[in-house]
Amino acid sequence: MLWVDDIHVRRGGTHALRGASLEVRRGEIVALIGANGAGKTTTLATISGLLRPRSGTVRFAAEPDAAPVELSAMKAEAIVAAGVSHCPEGRQIFANLSVAENLAIGAFLRRDREGIASDVADIHRLFPILKERAGVPGDRLSGGEQMMLAIGRALMSRPKLLLLDEPSLGLAPRLVEQIFDILERIRDEGVTVLLVEQNAAMALDIADRAYVLEAGSIVLQGTGRDLAEDPSVRRAYLGAA
Amino acid sequence: MTGAYLLSQIVNGLVLGAMYALIAIGFSMIYGIVRLINFAHGDIFAVGAFAALGSIAIAALPFPLAVLVVLLAGALVGLLVERAAFRPMRGAPQVTGFIASLAVAIILENLAVMTITAQPRTFAIPAWLGALVPLGSISVRVVDIAIIVLALVLTAALVGFVRFTRTGMAMRATAENYGVARLMGINIDRMIALAFAIGSALAAVAGLMWGAKYGQISPLMGTVPGLKAFVAAVIGGVGSISGAVLGGFVLGLAEVLFVGLLPSEFSAFRNAFVFAALILVLLVMPNGLIGKSTETRA
Repeated sequence: MLWVDDIHVRRGGTHALRGASLEVRRGEIVALIGANGAGKTTTLATISGLLRPRSGTVRFAAEPDAAPVELSAMKAEAIVAAGVSHCPEGRQIFANLSVAENLAIGAFLRRDREGIASDVADIHRLFPILKERAGVPGDRLSGGEQMMLAIGRALMSRPKLLLLDEPSLGLAPRLVEQIFDILERIRDEGVTVLLVEQNAAMALDIADRAYVLEAGSIVLQGTGRDLAEDPSVRRAYLGAA
Repeated sequence: MTGAYLLSQIVNGLVLGAMYALIAIGFSMIYGIVRLINFAHGDIFAVGAFAALGSIAIAALPFPLAVLVVLLAGALVGLLVERAAFRPMRGAPQVTGFIASLAVAIILENLAVMTITAQPRTFAIPAWLGALVPLGSISVRVVDIAIIVLALVLTAALVGFVRFTRTGMAMRATAENYGVARLMGINIDRMIALAFAIGSALAAVAGLMWGAKYGQISPLMGTVPGLKAFVAAVIGGVGSISGAVLGGFVLGLAEVLFVGLLPSEFSAFRNAFVFAALILVLLVMPNGLIGKSTETRA
């Protein structure tokens, strides 16, 4: 449903992506792993329209039989409307908005009141703490709670494709496991996931397929299991001797 | 000094404060969303005064309708200024926007001087606004009460809008983080334009009030009240609407009481007093009375 083809992106004076290509198929969790500065976040920001590629294409088809649209020609707002939701690195919860408002703002483009209310209820079932703390300012939540809120907020636009940047960042292992369990549930409910992670072991464990990004290009790809067993991946990213 | 004298000074202070508050809200909203001190804001206040003069004295509109016209005129000028001077500068360093706002101020002032001359004009108000009503031991003019009430109503409407509507929520989100606001599907250009429109409309109404209260307006009338309202916004905590309102009223009251209660030889120092108050508040409370964060956006 997403075809990133040979994109070059400059960011802050550096050539962050040098001809990266990847594909995400409907119903998958695809992991994008790589070292710090390899271009993972840049890849997501380019897909969601925060950055523009200098060359290359980003095509997306929300439905199986729909003709793909070229995302790199669209504004970020239009990309959300097309069905791509980007949950940014570092969670980026709105501190001036309450927990409930942070969820509501995720549905900014939607007008179906009943649908929104039922999605809020679904997210409250997934993350009960967000219901308990609905009235408090977003920045009063703990790191793990903010991650749940960030995922919930990203789901409120009813995306077909969820871009998720470093959900494990700064979280305790137990919380990371909980978040990853929920990712699998989200996938099983029909949302395709493109996951960027430094925690390669966890990411490869739940990923259907994965890509390894190095210095702005894809150097390896395969199923999550294949990559987890690949000697070079084990050496570079999984801490094996 | 009598109680009646003090009471009438307090009313005057509240009226001045109401006008400062309305101008300060615009400074604060615009700063809050684009991190820009718009030095042309005082001139939009003057535009409002002349729009009011035009609609009351020339077009002979009834007063409430004139208020509406002035709000619209202010919003329109604010939109125009944002589109022409600030949108092209988006993403440029802060100082660029600052210089652009000075340029807008100079252009607006000189346009006015060229077309309508710098000559002060008499601003006459309908008789019913000049009528006196008893208030305890004193009488106040209807216009004083109208100014305070109108300022409070507009402020309450704005606070309600920002806090409880979908668009208000989107404005708050935009003020906090452009990138993430865009990821929510918010058109940030539209939110920024809206902040300029609302802030400018309120400043324009303050211009109408100024004319109605003091009876005289001129194209350059915005400079000093604009600066003082900026001080009010900073005292209240720039970026916060309620802070701007509080800062406006505190400053207006303090200024009038300073002039009214101290021996008359001090009254020449009223402007110095205002800026001294700013320095004092910033020394004690660097973020203003209500402001909270000191962070700057990356």
